[in-house]
Amino acid sequence: MSGVRGARIEAPGATLGMPLVQHGAPLGELLGRPLGETVERLADRRATGALRCTSGSVYLEAGVVVHAESEFATGLDALLTRCGRIPPDAWRASLRAFGAEHRVGRMLVEQGHLTQGELELCHLGALHDAAFFTLGARSMVASFEPGVRHWLGPVSGVSARLLRREAVRRRDLLERIWPCPQVDTAPVAPGPAAGRRRVRTSLRQRELLHHADGRRTPADLARLLGRSAFSTTVEVRRLAAAGIVATPPSDALRPGAVASDALAPGALAPDVPCPDEPLLPTTLAGLQRRTPGAALRRPSDDLAGATVTACPPNAAAHPLSAHDPDIALLNRVRIALEARL
Amino acid sequence: MPGIDECLSQAMTIAGARGVSLIDWSSGLTLGASGHSPTGDHEATAAEATDLVRAAADSPTFADPDDAGTPVRDIIVTSDRSYHLLCFVGTVFDSRLALHLWLDRAEGNLATARFRLQAIAEELVLG
Repeated sequence: MSGVRGARIEAPGATLGMPLVQHGAPLGELLGRPLGETVERLADRRATGALRCTSGSVYLEAGVVVHAESEFATGLDALLTRCGRIPPDAWRASLRAFGAEHRVGRMLVEQGHLTQGELELCHLGALHDAAFFTLGARSMVASFEPGVRHWLGPVSGVSARLLRREAVRRRDLLERIWPCPQVDTAPVAPGPAAGRRRVRTSLRQRELLHHADGRRTPADLARLLGRSAFSTTVEVRRLAAAGIVATPPSDALRPGAVASDALAPGALAPDVPCPDEPLLPTTLAGLQRRTPGAALRRPSDDLAGATVTACPPNAAAHPLSAHDPDIALLNRVRIALEARL
Repeated sequence: MPGIDECLSQAMTIAGARGVSLIDWSSGLTLGASGHSPTGDHEATAAEATDLVRAAADSPTFADPDDAGTPVRDIIVTSDRSYHLLCFVGTVFDSRLALHLWLDRAEGNLATARFRLQAIAEELVLG
């Protein structure tokens, strides 16, 4: 890949390697902003290049998001080769032959490995999955490499605003299922309800549980099974809500965990008391403990930058101040179970 | 070889079609849309259609428990004025996709529309 050394925008006063566009505003104004907003700003300037973050990359072409990759999301290669749709050898050959020319996608279709519909469907799914995990990272450290293009080549594009809106919506969906983002990145391990009573699980869930060896995270399982990382995360959160998968204690520092507030600043109720939570390091300033139910609102509220001032009743009644984290967890389990009755 | 947009355009040629969208029902994402939406917003409609699809696909009563890919073939909702057809799109790779066609009841024919929508869903994947 023809990499131009990127302009780091992680620290105030960083020297810019090169401007984003000739007449663009200084890159410095993007400092410390949520990554979704950074992508929007880059799109506004019709930038071409790769925004590299701690958990993934977003590729833009003339201001349109054309691809995204994340170590936490299953890539096109695993999605297409694990299921047997494309033999791994053929995939590698295509990558070698056409990667440098940025036309792997087009050639997969022209050589009959995929139909145009399959390529578009798989690409859009992989793009949004990767964008969700990339934009949701807690760290806002990022660098932009102008001019860099992805080896896949043009398939279809997504606007930066749609990308961000979708990431926010997905985060809210996960929060409604089970408001404990730590299960997304922790090794999948049996929970209190596993094996104790008869709990109905789907075939997909049983496959996940069968491959969960106590070390594999949801991302590992998704890659192993060639599944979408987001749909795997949905399944794992549901299993955690049912108690079949363990919910580890909240670990705000775990890398790659989709931060509840990374996608939309001001999404958390600012006045929720958290006496049992130590103050987080300055790099995570502004992060607060999740308020269960705080995400139960329309995503458009986030887009307007509205600060949530009122929590749903179930969140207000939630004993956030419980000093024993186990009791807090049990209370969450009880509330989740009651909600399902 | 048709892509998403071509398939949606084809679906709009079905008699009585008022709107069509391709939804990812694992997330509620609209991958593409054409025509009108019952709510005036394709994204909001996709989110509601996703709830319906998920309810059926996750249900031990309605879903095929041994088919992890497409547990349901299609869902049909009828009202006095409209038909809604939700046709699941099966792919070899992992995906959770469905086509949602909104039909005018007076102009559309449910049986024909269902047949054609299934053909379009297959064409989208098989080319």
